Amino acid sequence: MIGISFFRVIRNAFRNFRRNVWLSIATTLIMTLTLCIILFLYTVNVLGREFLRNVEQKVDIAVTFKDTTQLSEINTIQKDIAARSDVQNTRIVTSDEALAEYRKRHADNPYIEEALKELNSNPLPNSMYIVAKDPQFYENITSSLRSNQYEEYIEKINFQDTKIIIEKMIRIMNIIKTAAIIATGIFGLLVILIMFNTIRLAIYSFREEIDIMRLVGASRWYIQGPFLMESVLVALISVSIATTILYVSLNTMAKNVNLFVFTGQNTNFDIYQYAVSHWIQIIGLQLVAAISLAVLSSYVAIRRYLR
Amino acid sequence: MITFTKVSKKYADLSPALQEVTIKIPTGDFVSIVGQSGAGKSTMLKLLSAEEKPTQGNIVIDGWDITKIKNWQVPYLRRQIGVVFQDFKLLPKRTAFENIAFAMEVGGAQPKEIRTSVSQILKLVNLTDKAHTYPNEMSGGERQRVSIARALAYKPQILLADEPTGNLDALNSWDIVQLLMKINRLGTTVLLATHNDDIVNALKKRVITLNQGKIISDQQAGTYKL
Repeated sequence: MIGISFFRVIRNAFRNFRRNVWLSIATTLIMTLTLCIILFLYTVNVLGREFLRNVEQKVDIAVTFKDTTQLSEINTIQKDIAARSDVQNTRIVTSDEALAEYRKRHADNPYIEEALKELNSNPLPNSMYIVAKDPQFYENITSSLRSNQYEEYIEKINFQDTKIIIEKMIRIMNIIKTAAIIATGIFGLLVILIMFNTIRLAIYSFREEIDIMRLVGASRWYIQGPFLMESVLVALISVSIATTILYVSLNTMAKNVNLFVFTGQNTNFDIYQYAVSHWIQIIGLQLVAAISLAVLSSYVAIRRYLR
Repeated sequence: MITFTKVSKKYADLSPALQEVTIKIPTGDFVSIVGQSGAGKSTMLKLLSAEEKPTQGNIVIDGWDITKIKNWQVPYLRRQIGVVFQDFKLLPKRTAFENIAFAMEVGGAQPKEIRTSVSQILKLVNLTDKAHTYPNEMSGGERQRVSIARALAYKPQILLADEPTGNLDALNSWDIVQLLMKINRLGTTVLLATHNDDIVNALKKRVITLNQGKIISDQQAGTYKL
């Protein structure tokens, strides 16, 4: 009996959808649009996170030592720094290694080689590169390097430039996120209002049948279920459309998006492949958002007009 | 057995619709409830189908005190009580068969059971040949018979008929009353609210007369006295 009743509730939900087909389509479109904005927000978040992760991997503190600082002293400083819990690794580049690297990098430029020969001595200093476990630790590491303890050995600490880039990137991402969240909120509200009216009209157009259902002993679930299921149906259709739009557009644009975001970065990240491997998360996120909006608005309409 | 014990019903800002009504209706009885408009006939029937709740008193149907009924129990009560109205309340876009089947679907009956039962009920109300006819293609009497057939879909123990002949001519009215008597002979308790004196007098069944919400007469094999 429960099975057949459930089947009839679902059948009636489809019938409700058909009876007010244009309104149902409008609701589906607005909900699809809302989901597309949520998916856009999700994609921007993934790309931004990946971009930052790549940038952060490149971030380090470059410490340049004074010419008077001996290699043994540099080794001691390295030991001190490497022992810190917030430091991931350290690397010393001696002036000779730096020069060799410089020569290698400019091997095809004869003028550079000429200039170096004229100098007669190595112009590059000894240096040390420090990578922190998390970008937020750089501030602390930098300040401890600036303490009196190391003052006589260190010429320069270079961190600020990369920090500005990261902060700028985070700011841009936050602006995009805020705008997308506001848009999601506005469209979410629209979905609630339109869905509410769709269900209200459906209840109105079925008032005669609802009266008779009550008269002949229909349970509350049998009467209210189709309206609730109609909203879930709209949610499911919207999720299907939005998911299709996401995958089709990512498949088409992934190459350009990857090029645009990750140019100059050593990464194989592919946004389309990421979306394919995270399909459960993507569909789950949409289902939660769509069904919550749908059920909330139809529940309010049912409570108000179907008591 | 239906028992009303000191049942009163007062609608907001109006004089009482029922005042301390106490009656007993044995199972299988045929009772006509008569009275002028506003006497409380429809209120009595609405209290029985839990469309309204009494302001005071108790109504017990076969040991079930329906004045204490919970909202979720109302559908179960209504499946034991068939109701017939003056305006038929049929779905215009469904055939006679579908209107009756609709009531059974609501209760969760299986398709096979629906097909068998609806055919039997249509035969009972003598409408087998109108099974696939829409309400607007039927006479008033036929529509009321479909309405009665739908009320019988659950094989109820009690049938409440609220002015079922109100919109019908004499001939069709008599057809409907004959049908109600046939249903009563099959064991269903029938409560007929009417102000059709010819019918009440011809029935020679129990008659409860209401006036301003009070019972002024309760006679076995009674007559219309207003």
